[in-house]
Amino acid sequence: MRRIQVMFFLAGIALVYGGYRAFTAPLDNLQGEFTRMIYIHVPTLWLAFLAFGITALGSIGYLISKKQRWDSLAGASAEIGVLYAIVGVFTGMVWGQAVWGQAWDWGDARLTTTAVMIFVYLAYLALRRSIADPAVRAKRAAILGTVAVIQVPLVYFSVNLVRTLHQTQSIRPDGSTMPTEILLPMLINLGAFTILYVALMMARIYVGRLEAARSVSTEVAGDAVSPPRLSDIQDV
Amino acid sequence: MSLSTQIREVARADLVVERRTGDTFRIVLPFAVVTLIIFSLAMGGEVAVLRNVGPAVFWAISILFGMQLALRTAALESPTRRDLMALLGLDPAARFLGRTAASALIIVAFMAILFLTMVLFFAPELPMGWVGPQAAALFLTAIGLAALSTLAGEVAAGTRSRTSLASLIVAPLVIPVILGGSQILEAMERNSGILIWILLLITTDLALLVAGVGLSRPLEEASR
Amino acid sequence: MTASVELADVDVVLGGKSVLIEVSLSLSGGESLAVVGPNGSGKTTLLRLLATLLKPTRGQGSILGQNIGSPEIRQVRSDIGLITHTPALIEELTISENLLHFARLSGNPFEDCLRALEVVGMEKAADRRVGDSSFGMRRRTEIAWLLVSKPKLLLLDEAKSGLDVEARELVDALVGLTLNKSGIVVGVSHQTSQLGDRFMHKRRLASGRLEGFA
Repeated sequence: MRRIQVMFFLAGIALVYGGYRAFTAPLDNLQGEFTRMIYIHVPTLWLAFLAFGITALGSIGYLISKKQRWDSLAGASAEIGVLYAIVGVFTGMVWGQAVWGQAWDWGDARLTTTAVMIFVYLAYLALRRSIADPAVRAKRAAILGTVAVIQVPLVYFSVNLVRTLHQTQSIRPDGSTMPTEILLPMLINLGAFTILYVALMMARIYVGRLEAARSVSTEVAGDAVSPPRLSDIQDV
Repeated sequence: MSLSTQIREVARADLVVERRTGDTFRIVLPFAVVTLIIFSLAMGGEVAVLRNVGPAVFWAISILFGMQLALRTAALESPTRRDLMALLGLDPAARFLGRTAASALIIVAFMAILFLTMVLFFAPELPMGWVGPQAAALFLTAIGLAALSTLAGEVAAGTRSRTSLASLIVAPLVIPVILGGSQILEAMERNSGILIWILLLITTDLALLVAGVGLSRPLEEASR
Repeated sequence: MTASVELADVDVVLGGKSVLIEVSLSLSGGESLAVVGPNGSGKTTLLRLLATLLKPTRGQGSILGQNIGSPEIRQVRSDIGLITHTPALIEELTISENLLHFARLSGNPFEDCLRALEVVGMEKAADRRVGDSSFGMRRRTEIAWLLVSKPKLLLLDEAKSGLDVEARELVDALVGLTLNKSGIVVGVSHQTSQLGDRFMHKRRLASGRLEGFA
């Protein structure tokens, strides 16, 4: 518990400092204040991908070892990954609206894949919520987590393929390499969001352990049915 | 029993059950055709518009309905029957492959009829020599859709909202299959190669089949 | 090698609830066990455990020479016969088609199935769909299958409930046949009278624990 609080405290400091660096970073003349969105957009999406990667790792780990803690890792990471991905996509849409006058572009493989991925892991989380038995849940979630990691790169590849072969994409201003005065605040924010991710993971796994402890009752299933009180039958 | 005998037997039984119930062609197909009509009415019935959107509407409806067809088989199976199958010595890989094969056949027949209906209603412009490539597209799409639905059906088996949950699992993951299938005619119209799309479909199908076979044992354990 | 079934201090937890607690039993070829317990006491779970369809949460056991939970356990599955609470036949297929399906999957000859249908008195109903058949007919079909597959471990879950006298005698005959061939039979029921007197050992299942009869 103490370690989690310390982690959140560190994450708070890092985020405040990251925010400060984001607002003092030089502005791109063409894009204006909205450039600052990228200091949230890029780190959150990057970490969302990392989080889903950890879900895949946890899933495969569970299939191999059958240890419950791999499942906790996979489940917690998927939840936080979805959260980060939603924040990342949302900031991207705001930025896109401001800069290109278009919030969404179906031709953008990264954008589309990220949106698809959110649904893949929402489905994963829905599956987890539908199964009460922790052992059954772990097995099935691990299977879906593994299929997802095989399929998501194919989603990215196929969407990208549609884009490149249609060749409707205009050249974007984001192809340039990043200058240091933007790169450094970016890395600081990436670090801050990483610490936040770790803190959230620790908290989620902790809460998961509390939930598991609560769901394991000392109740014996065989006691669920009690003998009918035939003597009371007249009272019905 | 050898794997291939078991695969064939699982597929055969599923197909006989399908023929007996007749759900696909008596209920699901008419429903899909009605949906096609609703689409054309909702778009104002304008010939020029319909000509353009026809194929897209076809793909959307085929995926949604095809998925339901494949999920039905898993949903129909009672837990006691699952137990019995395990005790018969049925290899879980044979179970997965046989079920996928049966579903793929049903889906491909369903899609073929739906496609011809769409051509009739929407009169899209089809490129020369479309029959072969489109048949390949439908066939390869059906395999991917069937494999993914079989997996999802088992993963969601026995949960409260299994059919809708399994649909939610399949829909985002099936995107490479839809894209591959739908781009083949488009590519022919643009005179760009269709090989890449066929390859995408084959890659996706293979990935799903390998995943299904590889995961079939944990999948079998997980479904009880 | 003679058949054997061992469970040592096995616990089964399902959905966060203990269903079986410290269950131990040991049976060898030719032995039979009747387990009686009230509804929901874990009888079906015990049978599914013995059928290798469930893994113990704690404890160990071996079924027909293979450890429960080991990958090799699959090898003994085809030697296990289970009559479940509700018959597990495919509704849309006919009775003989069901048997054909089972025969093909397991590698047993279909001719045996037809002979077994005659034995259980179902030859005239062979072409009837399971969906149109009565409960007793479905049970008889399952018994016919077990006559074909000749399990070394026969597990009966309320196998006699809802059956007429003749069909109950069939169940008894199947038990006798299995025991004569040095097989093992475990039957569960909520009522001792449902099991018959062919069982050597009798135990009670209450609150998840297997107790001896007083």
